Amino acid sequence: MISLTSSSSFFGPNVVVEGRRNPQYPSFRSVRPLTISASCASTVERPGSHIATGTSSLYEVLGIRMEATCLEIKTAYRRLARVVHPDVVVARGQRGQASADEFLKIHEAYSTLSDPEKRADYDRRLFERQWQANSRFTMSSSSSNSGFSSFRPRKWETDQCW
Amino acid sequence: MAEQAYTVASDSENTGEEKSSSTLPEIAIGIDIGTSQCSVAVWNGSQVELLKNTRNQKMMRSYVTYKDDIPSGGVSNQLSNEHEMLSGAAIFNMKRLVGRVDTDPVVHACKSLPFLVQTLDIGVRPFIAALVNNAWRSTTPEEVMAIFLVELRAMAELQLKRPIRHVVLTIPVSFGRFQLTRIERACAMAGLHVLRLMPEPTAVALLYAQQQQQTTHDNMGSGSEKIALIFNMGAGYTDVAVTATAGGVSQIRALAGSAIGGEDLLQNMMHYLLPNADTLFSSHSINEIKAMGLLRVATQDAIHKLSTQTSVPINLDLGNGSKINKVLHRQEFEEVNRKVFEKCETLVTQCLHDAKVEIEDVNDVIVVGGCSYIPKVKDLVTSACKRKELYKGMNPLEAAVCGAALEGAVASGISDPFGNLDLLTIQIATLAIGIRADGGNFIPIIPRNTTMPARKEMTFTTAHDNQTEALIVVYEGEGQKVEENHLLGYFKIVGIPPAPKGAPEISVCMDVDASNVLRVFAGVVQLGSYQPAMPFMEVRMPTVDDGHGWCAEALNRAYGSTLDLVSVQKKI
Repeated sequence: MISLTSSSSFFGPNVVVEGRRNPQYPSFRSVRPLTISASCASTVERPGSHIATGTSSLYEVLGIRMEATCLEIKTAYRRLARVVHPDVVVARGQRGQASADEFLKIHEAYSTLSDPEKRADYDRRLFERQWQANSRFTMSSSSSNSGFSSFRPRKWETDQCW
Repeated sequence: MAEQAYTVASDSENTGEEKSSSTLPEIAIGIDIGTSQCSVAVWNGSQVELLKNTRNQKMMRSYVTYKDDIPSGGVSNQLSNEHEMLSGAAIFNMKRLVGRVDTDPVVHACKSLPFLVQTLDIGVRPFIAALVNNAWRSTTPEEVMAIFLVELRAMAELQLKRPIRHVVLTIPVSFGRFQLTRIERACAMAGLHVLRLMPEPTAVALLYAQQQQQTTHDNMGSGSEKIALIFNMGAGYTDVAVTATAGGVSQIRALAGSAIGGEDLLQNMMHYLLPNADTLFSSHSINEIKAMGLLRVATQDAIHKLSTQTSVPINLDLGNGSKINKVLHRQEFEEVNRKVFEKCETLVTQCLHDAKVEIEDVNDVIVVGGCSYIPKVKDLVTSACKRKELYKGMNPLEAAVCGAALEGAVASGISDPFGNLDLLTIQIATLAIGIRADGGNFIPIIPRNTTMPARKEMTFTTAHDNQTEALIVVYEGEGQKVEENHLLGYFKIVGIPPAPKGAPEISVCMDVDASNVLRVFAGVVQLGSYQPAMPFMEVRMPTVDDGHGWCAEALNRAYGSTLDLVSVQKKI
């Protein structure tokens, strides 16, 4: 079976996080004449990395509560699309490329949360992460930015054995 | 008759950059160039208005007649009768020919038209010619469309009393990217800049979204989500869309389309009435063309009549010894075209399936297009959707062009104080885009019906030990094998570090922006290295020009599988 990897080694800041790729790795965004924008490159979030980086949950991306109903998710998605969709931004006379990244992020959040199965899976992982982050905090104060990988559930299990 | 203003404003196929940078005080017009008819509409400040030609027509025939040296199209020209269009001098049905190669079955079906369509069946563009002073004068689909667009533009400029530069055009769902570049080329030849190419049913969806928004405004309602199925069957193409609309935002959930339409119904009937039609008309002599024209007009007329009556008499003398005297019944018409109607049903069910929508959840079923007058077409959609009633709020012939005009106004940044332009369409990819890998297989990277803008990445690896180069061949389509799909372009990745097969990591990323511009990125991912040895590639597609049917074969012959790639399963 062929499955898509949703991460983007061409665009994402995750290259730094993972520490195995050059931070100055060419960002294709910035090569394009119309898309040169530092904020543009930095707003690109590896879709699956919300958990790993802990910046914001998909709920936060859409600006909704974790208990949000399916209708609320759809409404929030549409409301945000009305603001950040490249068509809207271009029609307002602004540049649309940066907003494409923002829209991609919002759409990614929407497509995960609007699918009951994917949402349940995401919620579980999100819960695990929060719980684990909390317990790590009480156990040791060593959690820092350098330890992203150790936030992953599997790592935590090995920590527990130790 | 005035000579055509035939200006070539731009030879650039890369119109995407301009889309995002230009500020647009002028309102873009909407154009629907149908296989058989076309129309123009514009937002007039408070609503969408269809423009009329000097003969007060809103719907104009899509054809160009070549007489002496001056071609003239159906916008300005008035034919004395239908037969004049079928004398060999008029070229029509260009939407079925544009951007297609001579191995395409749709092109072959066009060979029975009363002008010259010659094929060599080698994957190059077909030879098209009109009969002028007893000689076949060659032309191209783009040229015919451009002449036509020049007339439409002149008509609009006359009425709106301003220069027209920006347009939104409707296109069939099944059009590939190469065909879209041909349409853009025709527009550029006519001095028009394409702001957006909109799949026809999504234009209808936009009109529906606006109508729903007006209704909820009136009711002060909360604007709950409404799901509509749109079935659009014209002369050349049949398209289906499922759209979810709320608060002026229409989310296109799925699209399906095929190059079947009224033209197929007509040709099937012509062959039914005159079984040896193909051999009779094979040499395109002047008498044959005349007979072909007579048959075409009579058959078309009969089909039109069968929409309102159950039988129609046909009495026709083709002048070459063959006579047709027959009463044609509606059941016969439906039986002869059974396959076409079955295909229509398949499109509806496929679209519903792809949209993951249950038929019970569909609020409205909209049937538009020239063929929507055919009882069987209405029946098949209503029964496929388990409905009794179809949506009534739209003119079936004008819906698409009205949607295009709305999009033109929205994309031009026009706002309406009553909120009638607070609209947004979230489009999806009509065809999958991917590359050749795993030995001649098509590996989609952006699947069909993916929301745009879209960006997807996949990892591949080498097929041979110490393979240092890899060929990235980009295709578009639905077939599992690359031969079934359309070639968009190709490039080579070099400098892969020598390693056992399967070890190097080659990343291919595809990015489609909201203006539907495709960029392909590819390169070697260097593990543990802080200095990427080889720059990545960024290629805007399509890069192939005419003769792309040939191109894929040549690539295969020259390289075979030596520069193959293998897809890598995601490590979970």
